[in-house]
Amino acid sequence: MSEALRKPAPVREPAGRKSMIQELADLSAVVVAPVDDQTNLLVRELQRFRMRVRQVWPMPESVPGDADVVYCEYCADLARRLPWIPGDARSALVVIVPASDPIQPEALAHATPDAVLSRPFTSNAVLSSMVLARSQFGYARRLRGKIERLDENLRSMRTVERAKAILMATRRMQETEAYGFIRRQAMDRRVSASAVAAAIVDSFELLGYDQHTDPQ
Amino acid sequence: MSRLQEESSAPWRVGVLFSRTGFMSVVEDTQYQGTLLAIEEINDAGGICGRQLVPVAYDPGSDASAYGHFAKRLMIEDDVSTIFGCYTSSSRKAVLPVVERLNGLLWYPTLYEGFEASPNVIYTGASPNQNSLALCRHLMDTFGSRFYLVGSDYIYPRESNRVMRELLKANGGSAVGERYVSVQARWQDFLPIMQDIRRLKPDVIFSTVVGEATAYLYQAYANMGLDPRRMPIASLTTTEAEIAAMGFDVGEGHITAASYFQGIESDANRAFVTAFKKRYGGDVSTNMCAEASYFQVHLFARALEQVNTLDTDVLRSMVLGTSFEAPQGTVTVNPASGHADLWTRIGRANRAGQFDIIDESHGAVHADPFLIGYGRATAHAG
Repeated sequence: MSEALRKPAPVREPAGRKSMIQELADLSAVVVAPVDDQTNLLVRELQRFRMRVRQVWPMPESVPGDADVVYCEYCADLARRLPWIPGDARSALVVIVPASDPIQPEALAHATPDAVLSRPFTSNAVLSSMVLARSQFGYARRLRGKIERLDENLRSMRTVERAKAILMATRRMQETEAYGFIRRQAMDRRVSASAVAAAIVDSFELLGYDQHTDPQ
Repeated sequence: MSRLQEESSAPWRVGVLFSRTGFMSVVEDTQYQGTLLAIEEINDAGGICGRQLVPVAYDPGSDASAYGHFAKRLMIEDDVSTIFGCYTSSSRKAVLPVVERLNGLLWYPTLYEGFEASPNVIYTGASPNQNSLALCRHLMDTFGSRFYLVGSDYIYPRESNRVMRELLKANGGSAVGERYVSVQARWQDFLPIMQDIRRLKPDVIFSTVVGEATAYLYQAYANMGLDPRRMPIASLTTTEAEIAAMGFDVGEGHITAASYFQGIESDANRAFVTAFKKRYGGDVSTNMCAEASYFQVHLFARALEQVNTLDTDVLRSMVLGTSFEAPQGTVTVNPASGHADLWTRIGRANRAGQFDIIDESHGAVHADPFLIGYGRATAHAG
């Protein structure tokens, strides 16, 4: 394949949004693989996307995890050598698998790669692995974040309900009026409704319970 | 895929993660003992589908992050997919990403703050609707409505106190004070709290202090000459193990809400207590955490016997909805949440370091980890 053909395909640039290739620029990559023609090709490809590449070999006891993407040679105890616990990965991981030496599927699964890159490499395979790894890693991270926010919202909703009950009892407000009060306070103070609700609940607790203002 | 081989005499390997050293060992060691006792009973009875159950156990030394690293080692190096373990919520949260990412199954035998339902965890300890509700009602009926809250400074006590404050408010009570101490607190850390309590004169001290610090709290209380008949310490976490650590005379008269106490009168419990004492010595007591650790292994074994595979998806489906005659009574894993439906009991510690059961539910209470069915007034209905 000639140099000319290996140039990245021309990319459309929707207004205000980087192309995927542009997004790769200035990302950091670690390549854990022996120095050979194949590895050189991989490093060159990554550099062509203007990524900052660091090559590491021999296989370290603890694989460097301080990069946006880690390309790492398969080995049977790869999962153990990764510097994070499964489910808490800090880099997108592409496992490099040999062309014909047998691999263990469990070992590969335990490493929880976001993509694989089989030898021998081609430029399309390198690009594909990069796109897939970034997309899978980002998606899983967004889902985790979404779950954290859902958990948080669940707790907030309970706080808002309690604050509403307190307002209804102590200020003789109707339900919608109480919600409205919380919302207005939040807007005026530029904080979340749940923060206002928590403050109402806390201050009610601090002032102590009074039989005549029982929310029941 | 050794863990899926069905025609095999190779043993079933399961992970065990309890701290046998460090400040949490006072209770986690009993969870370890409960787990091991059940495993030995199962093996003595011929194993599961003719195969022995082999525990692969690590001691995380009361360090929460170590639980995550050991869970990783269990799943990727020891080829284990089922793990029995964890006491603190911080340790459970350290194991969670590992079992969720690698599709393992954690069996968690400890009361906790609720608001979680991972598809990779079976929860066999009480969630707040199974202990706090009944405790709050009992204390308000018996002692009064002004509570002083004291807890160890981590997730569980803060969340439990939040639930308790809600219950109090909803039922005409109040929290007159709320203090937290380090999980590694020493006796002198409780002196200012005791002075505060003497000044505020609450009706009840509600404690979620855990581990070694528990003994120091009760000892500081005793040293102040306070009277448990008038102002008891009420706890969700003080079991027979902690009472033994603080001294029977120090613990006497204080209140605990739990699904299980050693003093429960039933054949299943008598057999459990006899076996436990035979294995670990006549002067050790069982407790709610040891009991949950014990029955969850038996529950697991029943399910494994049926499906003959440790594959998490298959095993979990079998576990959901199954019942077991546990020492505390019949328990069922609620299919809606993966939490066990458990009994609610109120116990008062006696001079022998045991709890006299002064109130109990009529049957297992449905687990409601998200407190969906509990309105503001349910403390009088649960």
